[in-house]
Amino acid sequence: MITLAVFILFAVLAVVAALLVVIQKNAMHSVLYLAFTVLATAGVFFALQAEYLGAIQILVYGGGIVVLYIFVIIIVNLKEIVPERRGLVPKLFLVGVPVLLCAEVVTLVMRTGFPSAPSGSEGPGFREMAEMLFASYLLPFEAASILLLAVLIGAIVVARRRHIDDPD
Amino acid sequence: MIPIEAVIGFGLIIFTIGLAGVLVRKNLVIMLMSLELLLNGVNIILAGLGRHLNSPRGSIFALFVIINAVSEAAVGFALVLAYFRHRKSYDTDSLNELKG
Repeated sequence: MITLAVFILFAVLAVVAALLVVIQKNAMHSVLYLAFTVLATAGVFFALQAEYLGAIQILVYGGGIVVLYIFVIIIVNLKEIVPERRGLVPKLFLVGVPVLLCAEVVTLVMRTGFPSAPSGSEGPGFREMAEMLFASYLLPFEAASILLLAVLIGAIVVARRRHIDDPD
Repeated sequence: MIPIEAVIGFGLIIFTIGLAGVLVRKNLVIMLMSLELLLNGVNIILAGLGRHLNSPRGSIFALFVIINAVSEAAVGFALVLAYFRHRKSYDTDSLNELKG
């Protein structure tokens, strides 16, 4: 019961903050609301007994990505606000398509009978997860490290100054 | 006990908000933020299903999604910085050089 209350609290907070991320005109305010969304989502993960995921969410998103966003906004100096030159009708259309998609999937979920949960109320533990990650999912894990290395090199090459300034 | 439908609905709402943000906004940085919202919505659904099925697979998949989100953010920022140096703007309207 109390878990459900915690879940609903954090879910409502996350949805409101996510809406504000999209609506805000100032990019810096958007980043702060994004941080709020990320932390509320971490709370939802804790309510779902995915403690490892919640910790990673706070460390990687809250500590890494949000700070990266703030630095980029400071570097590129987003003071002049990009005008949103779009009429009301295209905007409504562009909002309506995702909402329709959401309604469709919600209908499907409602019609699907999910298998009832196995009786164990403990939830999967750390040991089980670690064993599965380093045994069954070892290959994707190593592939992820190669991906991160490629991203490191690629980001440096793309963002290099000389490369941009030289036409050839 | 949290009903699984509520978790999936919540994840879908976050996903929808992110998708609408990517489509509607014209500021490159806010579009990248909306992409993070999309991936967050998927992570919520994965964590909820892992809890529901009492399996650690949900958390493991969500972990890989987070790794991909970090990679996407890093490369996306490099592209935004390169584009900004090139053009001094982040308006997606001027990104039309490849248009036929």
